[in-house]
Amino acid sequence: MAVTQNQITKTAADGSANAVVNRLEPSGHSRRRSATGTPFTFALGVATIVSMAVLVLFGLFLSPADVTQGESVRILYIHVGTVWIAYVAFGVTAISSGMFLWKRTSSLVWDRIAGASAEVGVLFMALTLFAGAIWGRLSWGKFWVWDARVTTTAFLFITYVGYLAVRGLGGSHQQRGRRSAVVALLAVLEIPLVHFSVRLWRGLHQEASVAGTTKVKLENLMLFSLFVALISFTLLYVWLVMHRQRVLAMQDTLDDKGLDFALAARRAETEPVLESAEDG
Amino acid sequence: MDDIGFILATYIATFVGSVGLAWHYLRRGRRLAEQLPPEDKPWI
Repeated sequence: MAVTQNQITKTAADGSANAVVNRLEPSGHSRRRSATGTPFTFALGVATIVSMAVLVLFGLFLSPADVTQGESVRILYIHVGTVWIAYVAFGVTAISSGMFLWKRTSSLVWDRIAGASAEVGVLFMALTLFAGAIWGRLSWGKFWVWDARVTTTAFLFITYVGYLAVRGLGGSHQQRGRRSAVVALLAVLEIPLVHFSVRLWRGLHQEASVAGTTKVKLENLMLFSLFVALISFTLLYVWLVMHRQRVLAMQDTLDDKGLDFALAARRAETEPVLESAEDG
Repeated sequence: MDDIGFILATYIATFVGSVGLAWHYLRRGRRLAEQLPPEDKPWI
């Protein structure tokens, strides 16, 4: 049977690629296992899943309907939970960015935590806007209104999408870190504006139901459901940031050492072909 | 339950978004880990 040169090269490349993978992976390390996981993150993941199940149980079934808002109040647990995480995530991004810029603590680890946290924050901010739009449709009759809180929240979301775009610009890791840290420290100033927008400008959006100045009191089971939501989303946030930070660390290492690994893989590819040619 | 479609859509979007991001991170991590030696993965 005729075998083309391309087939030989492909077979050699596949074989050597597996050889490289085998050489790089420690013995007994299953490829099915999470590459960024540890026993701690595994336990955290299990706790997150369990708490999310409890949130669904309380949020959709056990907590009562609101006197004025009816069943739509069930969106509260998602809406407040996700915006809480978005605020925390952007706060962590700012603190980590400050740590990166401060010479005493400057390390790319802080930069990666900032990036990972901002990514997760952007997702949760998008979910906040989505849940808010649905809630707005049920409460105000419209998915979107140019209310101060809604508009500033959308602006905050766009700002952090911009932050992620800045992180994606070229340059060294240090340049990326410095550039994005400055943006993060400026962007975080928007959070107080978003939070106090309901007091600064009168609008449709209500003030905070918990720890706010309104006389609205949440019923005990509602308050408990909200508490479960905050715990669940916090656990999820920590899990996501830990994994993402490790992915970014590997990406940075590959950026630095990528050429060395590519050369080693190339050598591994050519050696079997050369040996068989010599034998032949 | 009134407006159940809207309420469920909120919950489903949140969980699908979260699980999707988690899945993306795990898959990306697995792919990158295959290209790196263990000493570059100090958490393992």
